[in-house]
Order: sequence, then C-alpha cells, then structure tokens
Amino acid sequence: MKRTIAQINEKINNGRVVAWTIAETKAKISQLGIEKVFQQVDVITTGTFEPMESSGAILNLGHTDPPIKIRQCWLDGIAAYAGFGAVDLYLGATATADYNLNETDPNLREGVGWERGGGHVIEDLIAGKSIQLKAIGQKTDCYPRAMWENAITKENINQFYLFNPRNLYQNFIVGVNGGDRTLYTYLGPLQPRLGNAVYSNPGAISPLINDPDLNLVGIGSKIFLGGGIGYIAWEGTQHFPLQRRLPNNTPIGPAATVALIGDAKQMDSNWVRGCYFKNYGSSLMLGVGVALPVLTEQVIRNCAVVDKDVVAPVIDFSIPRRVRPTFGLVSYAQLQKGHVTIDGKSVRVAPLASKHRSLQVAQELKQWITTGKFTLTEPVASLPSDRTFVPQDTNRSSISLE
Amino acid sequence: MKKRVTIIFPKTAIQIPLTYRLAKDFNVAANIIRAQVAPNQIGKLVVELQGDIDQIDAAIEWMRIRDISVYSASGEIVIDEDLCVDCGLCTGVCPTQALILNPETFKLDFRRSRCIVCEQCIPTCPVAAISTNL
Repeated sequence: MKRTIAQINEKINNGRVVAWTIAETKAKISQLGIEKVFQQVDVITTGTFEPMESSGAILNLGHTDPPIKIRQCWLDGIAAYAGFGAVDLYLGATATADYNLNETDPNLREGVGWERGGGHVIEDLIAGKSIQLKAIGQKTDCYPRAMWENAITKENINQFYLFNPRNLYQNFIVGVNGGDRTLYTYLGPLQPRLGNAVYSNPGAISPLINDPDLNLVGIGSKIFLGGGIGYIAWEGTQHFPLQRRLPNNTPIGPAATVALIGDAKQMDSNWVRGCYFKNYGSSLMLGVGVALPVLTEQVIRNCAVVDKDVVAPVIDFSIPRRVRPTFGLVSYAQLQKGHVTIDGKSVRVAPLASKHRSLQVAQELKQWITTGKFTLTEPVASLPSDRTFVPQDTNRSSISLE
Repeated sequence: MKKRVTIIFPKTAIQIPLTYRLAKDFNVAANIIRAQVAPNQIGKLVVELQGDIDQIDAAIEWMRIRDISVYSASGEIVIDEDLCVDCGLCTGVCPTQALILNPETFKLDFRRSRCIVCEQCIPTCPVAAISTNL
C-alpha cells in the first residue's frame, strides 16, 4: 500500500489526519513495530531549535521622496548589504556594528555593544519593535537623495522575509579543545585540556536524520520556519550529501543542508532569537519544523532510528586548520548522558541545540496539521544527492572525517 | 542550620582570621563559596555558615561590631525563564552540576543549593538569560 501527498492533504482538510511527533512515532515503533505504525499514521512532524548563523533577512523599505539608491546602510548601527536594488537590503544574522578605530570603549562598536548583531535586529523587527535606519545613497539622476534616516518596523516596510542560505544541518560535529587555553568558538567556550565538549544537533529527532536520503523533502517543501510558514528554496550552501554514512544511511557528520525562505512578518520572535557567543560573535537561533508524509513503509523504517544509532565526530578545535584532527565518533545517546570518554578521560558534554524546544516545534507543527492550518506540498524538484565538498585550496589535503 | 551570607570586611579587619574565630568561638563552620581577598583591599566572602541558630546570630553580631558587613541576601545566580531557550550550553561549564537538563523534559533545571556562584555560566549563555544579583 502506498499513499500520496494529495490523499494526506484530503485527510488534513477533512480533519481526519493522524499526525504524530517524531518522539511519539519512535515510542510507538518500539511498541508496535514498523508495519502497524505505518497503518496508523499519516504525517510525522519533526523540529529543531539551534543556532543557524547562515541566515538573514531581505528587506524592501519602499521609496523615499525624492528617492535614494542606498549604497551603505545600518540598522541600529549594524551594517546591512545594499549592493542590489535601490531600497533592497540584506541583513545577515552574524553582522555586527562597524569597527571604529577611534572608539574609546573596547566593548562598543559605533556605540553598539559587541553582543548585538543582525540576529538580534531580526528578532526585534519580528517582535514588532522599532529599529533605527541610516542610509547613504549614491546620487544619480534616478535617485537624487544622498542620505536617509528613519525608524522602521515590520509594518512600515514592504517585504521582510528570511532567506537563509544554510539551515537545518543533517547532523553536525562535537567540539572539544585539546589545547592549553580556552577557545571561544561558534559552539561556545571550549575549555582547555578537553575540559568540555559541545554538540549542536538534537540527534535522532532531528528533521533530516529521519529522511536521510532526502526522499520526502525537496525544493518547494512547505515547512515551519520561525513560527510562520516557510519553504525549502534550494540546496543549502555546503550541502554535502556524499558524507560517509552508517548502514542506516544517517551521515557520520555534517551532510545535507537546505536554504530556507519564509515571510518574517508572520513569524514569532519566540522562535527567532538573536544570540551571541562570547568572543566569537552573534548568530541566530531558529526553530524549524519539517512534516514528513508517511508515503511508504520505508518512511517509518527511517524514522525508527534512535540516538544510539546516530553518531557525530569529535573535533579538536585547538588546531586552527580546515581539516582538524578528530577523536573518532560518538553516539547521540552517549552525548545526551552528559559525559563522553575521550583519550581515556571523562569529559563533560553540553548540547547547544535545544532538545526541549525541538520537541516543542514538532508539537506545534502537529497542532497546525491536525487543525487543518498546514497542508503538505509536493516538492517541485529533488535536492541534489551528488554534491562533493570542495575546499578552496585544492593542492592541500581534502576534507575528510575518516 | 545553614545560612548563606555575603561578608564584606574593611581593610582594618583583614588581619582577623575570620573563619578560625567563627569555628573556635562560635562553633560555626564557614564553608567558603567565593572569596575576593587581596592585600590592602576590601575583602569579600560568600560563605555558608553552619551551626546552632543562636551561635550563628552571635557570630554575625560579633562580626558587625568589628565593622564587618554581613548581608543575608547573598549573591545568587538568577535565570530569566522568559529568555532561556533551554539549549543546555551552560550545563557544560557548571562545575557542580547545579545547572542540568531535566532528563525527561530537557528543560534547564537550576539546583540552587549546589551553586557556588562561579559565574562561568553567565558569559556562556548565548541569549543572556543568566545574571547574578551579587
């Protein structure tokens, strides 16, 4: 027996759909087995909430009178990219205030704290707050204005949507520090001499771990993005489906990624949170949910994977090179226990992806589906399955997680 | 009983072997949780006093006579639950497992009695949800 997305959508519209979260599904599979679960459930909802720094927002301000062609622009002192349409802007999640050599307070850049970045401005705009905009234009016959300052909110601009080049990593790494001083990384502080370890993926409940070969999601798939509706727009940057895989087809390290798009005006700042890693920089924590249509029994078989059967590589950040040494692979079951043994030493482990919130995203998406608010889409094209991971300097060693 | 207090002693009181006197004269055990003591500077201690309730009161009175300030509102780590996203990053730097993730709900649990106010969690928190009222 095979199902189609159209049949599932009909059930959603009739209010007869059976949707389970991924956590519920895994529990049911261990009780009832694959076959019975396949007969019972139509949609499985997954979610994650983790820092996704390759994110940002497109804004269109609307034209001023006389009009301006913006070449440089700051939102609350944080630079946004303006090298395209006259009043189009792109605000990146990791953007920070401009560095000013004359600044006397080392904790401030242009009067803005180091901790505040593009991610925080995006969060504030979604929350309905007002943001100070300063723009410098190139005077032309079309656009004579040279300067513009205003306070913007999501209500007084045209478009405001997230367009994130790389989100939803299918698995990630575990960071440790084998050196002799604290390192400040995108995984937070890593203490010297293997003082702690940090992982940043919710493990077996993670969306793309449960669709390891990307058979269910593709370009055009509708998703939960930041509390609103979004779509998979493209393959993500550094999309690397050819990563080595276990017999259950889950990758042993960073693998597939997707580019996501969605209307930020409808998002909820509870699911789009600016964040800052000490001495590394700002980023954006984002809630993303993916609904997996139960089309075949294989879907359930893929969703049966548990934390002891998903692994991540332990990477030593003390070697500041592209290819860093690894201490081997460790399972998410072990990571979630709070300590791992590395080089014969017991090391404290902390997560960075919020499992609590990941489960909440899946719960919320389930709610949307069972109340008919969210239907599924057929992908319009598949995500590529053959991308290699190209380094910039090819004469050196190629990336490997072996 | 146990009582956690913050003690601030002026330069004039630096010579007093404080924890020794508390133990010897009042039979009060002073478990030092944090200390900030340097030559010719105002000293600061966060201690957990353990002993008979009257003896602890007498010890505090004895310190106050010597211009040593004792605040019962001791410095504590405060977690803003509206800001916290339960990521758990702080649990990896907490040396006493005062901060842990609940194994059932994966929400952050703060076990105040275990906290030694080392403050390592404060700069680690990516969403600035942790502060101290010290």
